[in-house]
Amino acid sequence: MGLDHGGGQRRTPARVLAAGCIAALALSAAACGSGPSAGGSGPVTLAWYIFPEPSGSFAKAAAECSKDSNGEYRIDIHNLPASADGQREEMARRLAAGDTSLDILGLDVTWTPEFAEAHWIAPWPAQQAAQIRKGTLKPMLDTATWNGKLYSAPFNTNTQLLWWRNDLVDHPPKTWHEMLSVAARLAKQGKPHYVEIQGAQYEGYTVWFNTLVNSAGGKIVSDNGRRVLLDKNNAGLKALRVIYDLAHSPAADPSLPVQMEDQNRLAFEAGKAPFELNYPFVYPSAKADVPKIFKHMRWAPYPRVEADRPVHVTIGGIDLAVSALSQHKKEAFDAIRCLRAPKHEVTNAVKGGLPPVLTSIYHRKSFQKVYPFWKDILHELQTASIRAKTPAYQSVSLEISYTLSPPDSVDPKADLPLLKTRIDDAINSRGLVP
Amino acid sequence: MSQAEVAAEAPVAEPRRRRVLSERARAERKLGWLLCFPAALVMVAVTAYPIGYAVYLSLERYDLRFPANTAFVGLANYWTVLKSVDLWWRAFGVTTLITVVSVGVEFVLGMAVALVMYRTLYGRGLIRTSVLIPYGIVTVAAAFSWQYAWTPGIGYLANLLPSGTAPLTGTWSAIGIIILAEVWKTTPFMSLLLLAGLSLVPDGLLDAAKVDGANAWQRFTRVTLPIMKPAILVALLFRTLDAFRIFDNIFILTHGAANTRSVSILDYDQLFTAFNLGVGNAMSVLIVIAVALIAFIYIKAFGTAAPGQEVRR
Amino acid sequence: MALQTTGRQRWGWIGADLLIIVIVAVPLWWLISLSFKDPSTITNGSFWPTKWTLDNYRGIFSTSLFTRALINSIGIGLISTFISVVLASFAAYAIARLEFPGKRVLIGASLLIAMFPPISLVTPLFNLWRIIGLFDTWPGLIIPYITFSLPLSIYTLSAFFREIPWELERAAQIDGATPWQAFTRVIIPLAMPGVVTTAVLAFLYAWNDFVFAISLTSTNNSRTVPAALAFFTGASQFEQPTGSIAAAAVIITIPIIILVMIFQRRIVAGLTAGAVKG
Repeated sequence: MGLDHGGGQRRTPARVLAAGCIAALALSAAACGSGPSAGGSGPVTLAWYIFPEPSGSFAKAAAECSKDSNGEYRIDIHNLPASADGQREEMARRLAAGDTSLDILGLDVTWTPEFAEAHWIAPWPAQQAAQIRKGTLKPMLDTATWNGKLYSAPFNTNTQLLWWRNDLVDHPPKTWHEMLSVAARLAKQGKPHYVEIQGAQYEGYTVWFNTLVNSAGGKIVSDNGRRVLLDKNNAGLKALRVIYDLAHSPAADPSLPVQMEDQNRLAFEAGKAPFELNYPFVYPSAKADVPKIFKHMRWAPYPRVEADRPVHVTIGGIDLAVSALSQHKKEAFDAIRCLRAPKHEVTNAVKGGLPPVLTSIYHRKSFQKVYPFWKDILHELQTASIRAKTPAYQSVSLEISYTLSPPDSVDPKADLPLLKTRIDDAINSRGLVP
Repeated sequence: MSQAEVAAEAPVAEPRRRRVLSERARAERKLGWLLCFPAALVMVAVTAYPIGYAVYLSLERYDLRFPANTAFVGLANYWTVLKSVDLWWRAFGVTTLITVVSVGVEFVLGMAVALVMYRTLYGRGLIRTSVLIPYGIVTVAAAFSWQYAWTPGIGYLANLLPSGTAPLTGTWSAIGIIILAEVWKTTPFMSLLLLAGLSLVPDGLLDAAKVDGANAWQRFTRVTLPIMKPAILVALLFRTLDAFRIFDNIFILTHGAANTRSVSILDYDQLFTAFNLGVGNAMSVLIVIAVALIAFIYIKAFGTAAPGQEVRR
Repeated sequence: MALQTTGRQRWGWIGADLLIIVIVAVPLWWLISLSFKDPSTITNGSFWPTKWTLDNYRGIFSTSLFTRALINSIGIGLISTFISVVLASFAAYAIARLEFPGKRVLIGASLLIAMFPPISLVTPLFNLWRIIGLFDTWPGLIIPYITFSLPLSIYTLSAFFREIPWELERAAQIDGATPWQAFTRVIIPLAMPGVVTTAVLAFLYAWNDFVFAISLTSTNNSRTVPAALAFFTGASQFEQPTGSIAAAAVIITIPIIILVMIFQRRIVAGLTAGAVKG
């Protein structure tokens, strides 16, 4: 070996590959395996790529489903990188390169259009799709659907509530306007007065903007992902005004431009804020960390943008899809249905803190006991909004958080047209990603 | 072989030789081509072909997220890149700034290190070995060392700063750290190339200048530097082009956050965040053009001393 | 000159020597120090570990993420070095010994390639590799590594070859040696130092590369250590893998220090020869 495959380009890829494999084998016996072999007897091995779940509830579900399949399949969990960007990049790169060793993919709620449009994931067979749809939260199904077809199965979900302190405020504010004036009053009295929200230049900021736009009666892009809809009901402008108002009011935490969910939690636990907009993980955390504040910690629906218009908070969560290149699609679809069975959904919620996607679970007494805010969460989830539905979501989101950063630089009149152009560029693959 | 020799010999000798271009000379010529062919083929195949392919891809809307919408769009992708003031031109400015400052600093430091390596009386081997370590070390490994050094709460350097400052999150301080990492890593390369130039300066000439009453600085600027000019050109050219493609240090230190993206990092993001091959390849072509321009300007500015250039009269 | 050195000058040179050594050593020591720090003391910011541990090293060698990457780095580095040096030897011999038209074009073109921005190849190669199946394979990295190490290899080798007293070959033949004996007993020993130096430089290139390694790979199949470092994760989501990264960085620095110590004189000669004689 050596010389003869140096000229790479002239040879057929398969032979170059073979030569490389021989080289690899010379150094390590483990190289160039073509993945677990398919044929023969025994269960097929399904590779499940999912974010690293710390509580072990996914691993438990995978083991139980493997056992319950009666030898049909065995699910192997493969941890993706910790960051969402890293997860997407790894899966997309491998699928783009035709990697057949992925079977089940854990997709963030915003990725289904991208993976479906690129033919990286397989649509659900009609009959099984109907089973998935039954009893599943509508907005989650919406995130899993592209061009009218169900491409992934909602696995778990999440959304934000308003957390407030009843030692500082009598009742929770109904609107942003009310919340900001209450905060201003508290500021005058020298009491804690920050509104804790995600203002750093990242996905969480886009989530905030999306909630505001949808609650003002608009949308970022149309359902088919082809048009920018920020002008509908003037919602884009109204949303920008809320950001502007907060950033220029005493309610703005000085570190707003760098705050993510965890910094918000810490600021609230440090007693700096009467209000916090965040996911339910802050509740058990406050209970463990600061009992004194926890005593006064209450939750309420997310404040409205307009008093007479219901709020549509952005939905989050994970959908499970089958790789279009999987060699074991049938088994993978079966496995996903098992993984989202009610008993596993309950474990994920109770042990891992991930709210279920099946509405029936919220009505179980046993669940309500460990999930006190079930009613408000369920209501918000049922009326939730989804983020811009386009294969170019990643670019759209980056454009939004980039254009609107830092929050105190937002100029509603000037930024709206800029935002519209940039989002339009992004959905037509014309723009650069920031 | 001196330039004069080549120039004088070539035109006269060629025709006479050609007439009697012996069997042997022809065989030599053939062997020469044959021996160079594999290397040339690999180099051309892996650079010229892909860059041609990049030009082709850059003329298309080619987005892995929209495979169905692939279409010829002419120069639209170039327009997208070139009109992007706050991304492309900012990255271009950052890259240029890093290049100019780091090459400038490296030139001064590299010259000093080269002088030490050349003239030092003690531990010459030890000095050369230690200078080679930054040259050889994996850039990513060194970048992690700098990153942790400047991370508040972990690093010895960050702890010297007032608490609460995170130098890697501010644009200017982050660029400063990137330049520091770049200078540490590549000054040795610069100094080795300059050392080669220093060794060409005849001691006799320096002694003569000394006898004529020139002080050390005058001897350096009037004798050493002019003789070193070709070596300086090579060192500056290599390092400028190398600095312009900076990627590793920025990727590890900031990953382009706080507006510290170089053109290479920006291009990488178009490819792997957006999977937008059309725009990404347009940017790749623009980077090649920029590099070619820099090389061209250097060679024009420094005259014929450019390496590998055909000597013409 | 040496005779006239005054005491002040002597201390000046020693001071300059020490300064260079300290500047080189500090970032290196910092990595070593971090790699030996116990997780509980990793954030103490001290320059010297207060609580020594080998756990970071044990940790990285217990995961396939690092060990596979190390195997990839070594394998890919050795194969691309070998091919690059063989190809470069042919070309360098021709450049040093033979007269043929197009010689200078070759030198010029290879210099251009040495200056080529790798990111500009990454975008087309990513697409090409994924279509023809070279993405995330050893050859997918070996091919660009050969290409980018060839110019420097040709450069250094031809500089070394020019220095070889080739007439010795004929002299040996006159003394009765066969051409093959003359080549193997006389020329090869003379050429070896140059070949070894070139190999070291080519290996350093492949060992060091990050742009191709992070762009053209996606799994343990072919990810080399510099790229794998960017994928290290801590024990939990919120724990930074500082200690493991530092340990891995130290491991991949050791071979470099060994190579540099052994070949110091030759690397300096190799790097400088090309620069002035091109």
